[in-house]
Amino acid sequence: MVPDAANSGDDAAEGADGAPAPRPANGPLRTLIATLLMALAFLAVGTQLFRLALQGQGDISVSLNETVAQSYARPDIVDRNGRLLATDVEAYSLFADPARVIDRDEAVEKLAVVFPDMDANALRNDLSDRNRRFVWIRRGLPPRTAQTVHNLGLPGFDFRRELRRAYPGGKLAGHVLGYVNIDNKGVAGIERYVDEVVGVESVQGATLAERPPVRLSLDIGAQHAVEAELADAMSRYQAQGAAAVVMDVTTGEVMASASLPAVDPGKPNMDQSRLDKISGSTFELGSVFKTLTVAMALDQALVTPETIIDTRRELTSGRFTIKDLHPLRRPLSVTEIFLHSSNVGAAKLALLAGPQRFQDFLRHMQMFDTMKTEAGAMAAPQIPQRWGEIETITASYGHGIAMAPLQFAAAAGAIVNGGRKVTPTFVKKLADASVAEIPLISTATSDKMRVLMRRNVAEHAGTGKRAEVRGYQVGGKTGTAEMPGVGGYREKAVISSFLAAFPMDAPRYVVFVLIFEPKGTQETGGEVLASLNAAPTAGRIISRIGPLLGIMPTQAAAAGGTGMAFDAAAHAKYEAR
Amino acid sequence: MRIIILGALILTIASAFVLYSSNYETRQLEASVAEQERAIEKARSDISVLKAERAHLGRPDRIEPLARALGLGPASEQQLAATPDEAIARALGAAEPATKKKGN
Repeated sequence: MVPDAANSGDDAAEGADGAPAPRPANGPLRTLIATLLMALAFLAVGTQLFRLALQGQGDISVSLNETVAQSYARPDIVDRNGRLLATDVEAYSLFADPARVIDRDEAVEKLAVVFPDMDANALRNDLSDRNRRFVWIRRGLPPRTAQTVHNLGLPGFDFRRELRRAYPGGKLAGHVLGYVNIDNKGVAGIERYVDEVVGVESVQGATLAERPPVRLSLDIGAQHAVEAELADAMSRYQAQGAAAVVMDVTTGEVMASASLPAVDPGKPNMDQSRLDKISGSTFELGSVFKTLTVAMALDQALVTPETIIDTRRELTSGRFTIKDLHPLRRPLSVTEIFLHSSNVGAAKLALLAGPQRFQDFLRHMQMFDTMKTEAGAMAAPQIPQRWGEIETITASYGHGIAMAPLQFAAAAGAIVNGGRKVTPTFVKKLADASVAEIPLISTATSDKMRVLMRRNVAEHAGTGKRAEVRGYQVGGKTGTAEMPGVGGYREKAVISSFLAAFPMDAPRYVVFVLIFEPKGTQETGGEVLASLNAAPTAGRIISRIGPLLGIMPTQAAAAGGTGMAFDAAAHAKYEAR
Repeated sequence: MRIIILGALILTIASAFVLYSSNYETRQLEASVAEQERAIEKARSDISVLKAERAHLGRPDRIEPLARALGLGPASEQQLAATPDEAIARALGAAEPATKKKGN
């Protein structure tokens, strides 16, 4: 019975299973199909899982729910020691959607309180144009102002985050840096170089640039010292302007380049009086140019420093008469011509070579090239159309020929550095970068010129004696050039300049100082001569930048030195803090 | 057969769960990445502002009057010495006349 019962149970089950007749025949096939489909589905899911596991996160698109604006992310600009000169900071820009502005007059009124300098009528007109959906109100707002506007709760107004260029040094090196436009694109100076050569990133919103900073050759300390001394000179000599450049004579790196009145790169000012006087304008430089004339005569072996030239009489050429300011009425040696800055002597030296050779020499010294630096093209030199005798004579003492002071400083660098070509640059050179040595004049000529320039400062009779800085072996040449005006030269309006180099036994830097339209003061005895204003200014600049640039004074000076400039009074004051 | 079906069912549920949770996790990760990226951008922006402020505070035309008020002045070429020995010798040399002066 037991097996039966078991059988019957089996039967019952089979009976229930096998109730429809055709099913047992089709059953396995259907199951198989279902199983296969299932397996396929699992395989698909499995593969997908496997693929996801292998691929990881994949690309994640982050959607920031912000309105953004197109602008440029710029690399920082730093000085040669890595101190910041220009950087990008995030700022807020206010815009309006006129279609969404509800009360136009209320909005204009409230905004006028926050921005007192705003043109209310222009804004009202902009806002009344309902077809426009986007109007810039004010760009580059500091966070606090943005918050104030936000708190006004005006409908239809909103902000975009943008990058703004900031110049933490204020006006420091403003002419060299140049400036950017409203979209943060470089327009002038180094900023333009950054766009054209280094590269900027076009960004949406306020994404900072990832490029390494642009390292300039400038030294902030030296730059400030030069600017401060020039400002002092401007007030001391009641001058209209002043400019100076300090350049490494080996590498051509410009350590400082200042032109006063200064410009603020944050607020570009196209005023004519604020043009860069170092590389953006040309001037007739006057007697400093005799450095080139004498170098030419020596280099072409026309004379030696001891050669005597007859300078007793005034020189006449056509309707012009060339005179010396303080004629000695005796024949002068070439050395004396340089030391006394004799116009007649310089003219005779140039005539000795003749117009063609003099011209060729100046061209050889890169005086006729239109130079270009990272800060842009320099103002092209102005040279006489035709070179006759009179042009040769005037050019020999720096008149009738005009050039940018930086271009002249480059030539002067070549004269003192042993005769090698100097190419001015505003970008720091790598320590291992080799400088191509292109000789322009012979080393012997350079040595003789260094002696002459040193004597001009060291000797009591020298015009540059007020530029002396103990221990720094300063050498140089003065120049007092009359400024051209309407129908000839203006009386008592001069550019007094001093071309200096130091230390003269192995020159490292050339310093070229120009003072524009100085007035005779009590300090200068009413005179406007370069020996009384530009030379002492150059001396003060050198005394200040020498230690900053790490120039060791010579032993001789140290022995005669007074020692502690940090005197007891100053010490006590310092200790008290 | 029943076991297979049961197994398949369990697998289906399990894989659905795995898929759901990994999807969920991914979204969470995405959100945290976005948050961190925003934090990085904020930090970078803060750094750039702080750098600019530091440079602004350290600009020479602000430091110079402060230093002068403290009784300091620009470094003079007379304060430079090529070697430590020379510096000591000069300091001693300068100190002696000074003490003599005091004695007088």
